[in-house]
Amino acid sequence: MMLLIKLFQFMLMFHAFYSTNSNPSKPNVILMLMDDMGWGDLGVLGNPAKETPNLDRMASEGALMTDFYAPNPLCSPSRASLLTGRLPIRNGFYTTNDHARCSYTPQYIVGGIPDSEIVLPELLNKAGYRSKIIGKWHLGHQTQYHPLKHGFDEYFGAPNCHVGPYDNKKQPNIPVYRDADMIGRYYEEFKIDKSGESNLTQMFIEEAIAFIEKQHQTGEQFFLYWTPDASHSPHYASKSFLGTSQRELYGDAVMELDYGVGQILGKLKELQIENNTFVFFSSDNGAALSGGAYVGSNGPFLCGKHTTFEGGMREPSIAWWPGRIKPGKIVHELGSLMDLFATAVDIAGMKLPADRVYDGSSLLPVLVDDKMNKNKTIFYYRGNELMAARRGMYKAHFWTWSEGIPTLHLEYCPGMQVEDVTTRNLTNHMAQPVLFHLGRDPGEKFKLKLNTAEYKKGLQFIMEAVIEHKKTMIPGQPQLNMCDKGIMNWAPSGCETLNKCLHGPPSNPFKCSWPV
Amino acid sequence: MKVSTKHIRMSVLVYMAVFILVVFVCVHSSGSKPNIVVLFADDVGYGDLACYGHPASYTPNLDGMAKNGMLFTSFYSAANLCSPSRAALLTGRYHIRSGIYPFVLGPDSTGGLPRNETTIANILKQQGYHTAMIGKWDLGIGKDMVHFPMHYGFDKYYGVPYVHGACPCETCFYPHEGCQQSVIGGDKCGFDKTYCPLFQNMRIIQQPVDLLTLAEKYVDFAKDFITDSANAGESFFLYLAYNHCHFPQFAGKRFHNFTQRGIYGDSLAEIDWSVGEILQQLRHSQIENNTLVFFTSDNGAALRDWYNGGSSGMLKCGKATTYEGGHRVPAIAYWPGQITAGVSSRDFLTTLDLLPTITKLSGSVLPKVTIDGMDMSSVLFGQAKSARDNLLYYPAYPDKKIGAYAIRYKHYKAHFYTEGSPQSGMYNADTDCHPNNTLHHDPPLLYDLDRDPGELYNMNKEPQYKDVLEEIKQVKTKLEDAMIWGTSQVNKPKDPRLEPCCIPGCDPFPSCCRCD
Repeated sequence: MMLLIKLFQFMLMFHAFYSTNSNPSKPNVILMLMDDMGWGDLGVLGNPAKETPNLDRMASEGALMTDFYAPNPLCSPSRASLLTGRLPIRNGFYTTNDHARCSYTPQYIVGGIPDSEIVLPELLNKAGYRSKIIGKWHLGHQTQYHPLKHGFDEYFGAPNCHVGPYDNKKQPNIPVYRDADMIGRYYEEFKIDKSGESNLTQMFIEEAIAFIEKQHQTGEQFFLYWTPDASHSPHYASKSFLGTSQRELYGDAVMELDYGVGQILGKLKELQIENNTFVFFSSDNGAALSGGAYVGSNGPFLCGKHTTFEGGMREPSIAWWPGRIKPGKIVHELGSLMDLFATAVDIAGMKLPADRVYDGSSLLPVLVDDKMNKNKTIFYYRGNELMAARRGMYKAHFWTWSEGIPTLHLEYCPGMQVEDVTTRNLTNHMAQPVLFHLGRDPGEKFKLKLNTAEYKKGLQFIMEAVIEHKKTMIPGQPQLNMCDKGIMNWAPSGCETLNKCLHGPPSNPFKCSWPV
Repeated sequence: MKVSTKHIRMSVLVYMAVFILVVFVCVHSSGSKPNIVVLFADDVGYGDLACYGHPASYTPNLDGMAKNGMLFTSFYSAANLCSPSRAALLTGRYHIRSGIYPFVLGPDSTGGLPRNETTIANILKQQGYHTAMIGKWDLGIGKDMVHFPMHYGFDKYYGVPYVHGACPCETCFYPHEGCQQSVIGGDKCGFDKTYCPLFQNMRIIQQPVDLLTLAEKYVDFAKDFITDSANAGESFFLYLAYNHCHFPQFAGKRFHNFTQRGIYGDSLAEIDWSVGEILQQLRHSQIENNTLVFFTSDNGAALRDWYNGGSSGMLKCGKATTYEGGHRVPAIAYWPGQITAGVSSRDFLTTLDLLPTITKLSGSVLPKVTIDGMDMSSVLFGQAKSARDNLLYYPAYPDKKIGAYAIRYKHYKAHFYTEGSPQSGMYNADTDCHPNNTLHHDPPLLYDLDRDPGELYNMNKEPQYKDVLEEIKQVKTKLEDAMIWGTSQVNKPKDPRLEPCCIPGCDPFPSCCRCD
């Protein structure tokens, strides 16, 4: 009897050994990108409400990246940069209609991700990955920009933000897709109640869990791009989360997203694939402070979304990979969402394509091997203008701006006024850039005095990188210049089957107006 | 496999022996009263520690203490300045009662903490505790040193008893780097005072003190005190009030240019190191499970010297104001085996609550005077929520006719008066923090600190809060009616001859007070 048991145990061991070896799968990659969530929204980053227990645990099991940036202070360009590994000025997610204006992809935008750009899943597919996007795409809604045409194998989500409801006459409601075809619209089949109640985050969680389980069963490595957008205005949360936060609806949304992160990490552990899965959590830009009271928080940083101050682009960021990344690590290396492109390529055992310039590099050296690169530079763009640059601890502002058109009275920097820095109008500082030391002064409150030795040294260090950057910069064709109400989501693919095709006006392209 | 009965009997015997031993050890250690260590930092703000979201601080030991203990996000110092906050902490009573106002005591003050006040040390002394204080006493010296710590229940004293900025500063960083000049000017280190004295009990052992080795000396003294107490089997109370990170910042050789956060970060890193050393000593002495360690700060961040100051994180203004940044401070409780590791608490608590808590833990009875604090031991042990529902915020220069400027009631805060302070920055990005005339608010400004910790959105015009405002007014009136104002100790005459001098009566005073 004893012998039989021993034999059985041996068989089990052999089986486990054999099965992991017979299928030497590459590590899975999960990128979780929040919408408008700020640095200060996480408990581990100092939010007094402490309502993100799962993210706080993720940080204690993984690495907290304190100096990690979005490539742009607005959604679409930031997302396009993550998925292409290149700055918006290169991949075309900017406008030249006006100087230094942010632009994005509302449903009347004509452009989207150009075919010439290599989107991350296109590369990963070559390495045998199956890729799924769950949530907000935001890289163009016209047929040619559909995620399945840019490398994703599966899709559950929407091409645009969940704003609405619309009347379906002047403007259609945003469609929700499953893979190639639409399966309904926001505010119709996919309800978002005026009270803020919606099951969407739960759906995004369930989709993620189902995808992970399916991939685990087939044994095929996967790339999951999880981009729920509940923390973007209008905020929403499901019934069981409504009213649970002390931070109003925004807090409810954050708590549900945090729960989702916990569910996904929990599933990886349950399936015992956590040691073979790289997970990264971040946000597309800083918290939107212009949305009135009780919105997201950028912690100690200046201003928020839309701006090139730290509050607009410094992101709450956590890398997680049990067994590879030392738990509880704090990483001060500069990083950007564009590094995730290079990191995923590195994890897949591939090289970055040599035919184009990439703006990121793999994070594995610092995350796994503690090899810190101190020479990285962060470039802060608004539209076609390089507003600021950071290298080491120094940040130089070449241009400052905090409000586009005074009539809108949008407060991007509520309660904060730094003279000559939070300038309302676009202000040129090229002759004497405004310099900050972000170690001593992460909140960008105290300008370094001009002509001091430190100012000169700091500026020179930055300018070396900036001059090189500008010298080699070949801007891509701007994709966000033209708009057209005739090409809104009137009749997305699959609308016939659902009998949900709408009739819009005839095509009438016009130059988009980007007021801020 | 067959196991012999003899083998079983042997095992049982071994297990029983181990069990008895374990029980003996447990009973032995829990039989003695718990040791108490209070670590009190100077001018460390809500946003200064990495575990409170500072992106550039280096505080691994305090972060670890939080990870293995309890971190509080709604913990307040009862006062927004050094001397008053220390009086409140040690007596469990508002500083208004003991007369430690306005502003702070100096080395030339004739006043001090009234001798009839009962301190935590007095209470514990009666319970047979071995008591010691290290560092910044700040509650007066007085004629014949009548206000020295030894008269308030401390067996031993070691340290620089008041702020090192009140003496001529010579060297703040290795090897001979001078101390930072104040940005606001006009208050250089106390050049007209005697050199900073280092006391051992009532005797000056070094004048001027060597700031570069001060932290090490404090640690050595603390370790010796802990070791001696542990060896003698005596319960002890150690109150270590750091002179760090008050302006002008200083740190020892090892911490010079140690952090990416400049001189403030270096000074904070030295506190962190010191905390680590003390926790390690408790482990070495095997009394960690019988010792409550509590870390907090005397008031919010000093923002007067640009980036050479602390951080209020997302809170409004800082030191010497009645905004959240002046009073809400980092707080961490640590007691392995008694306090659950890694808990974050949103409980509303204050420094006033330490005395009643420690009284309870030591099995003592409260002194027969009005105590403003309440026992929070059940909060520490996770058995109950804090019963506190109010805190009065007194200004730096309290006026009996006006009373408290603000009150927190439950999660609401009402400002009846507001004013900025030079201590919160002449150039603060938030103009409300600038030194300015006192503003009276009727109706009071009303904030919901749960959803708006940054005090950004005043709700006093919203009709649904009318009743709340009324209730708050009543609570405040009731509390203030019961407040008995002690005679101001700070306004008592000053006498430069009281300034500590290692050569009493020497000439020319004060520069002759120098014993190298």
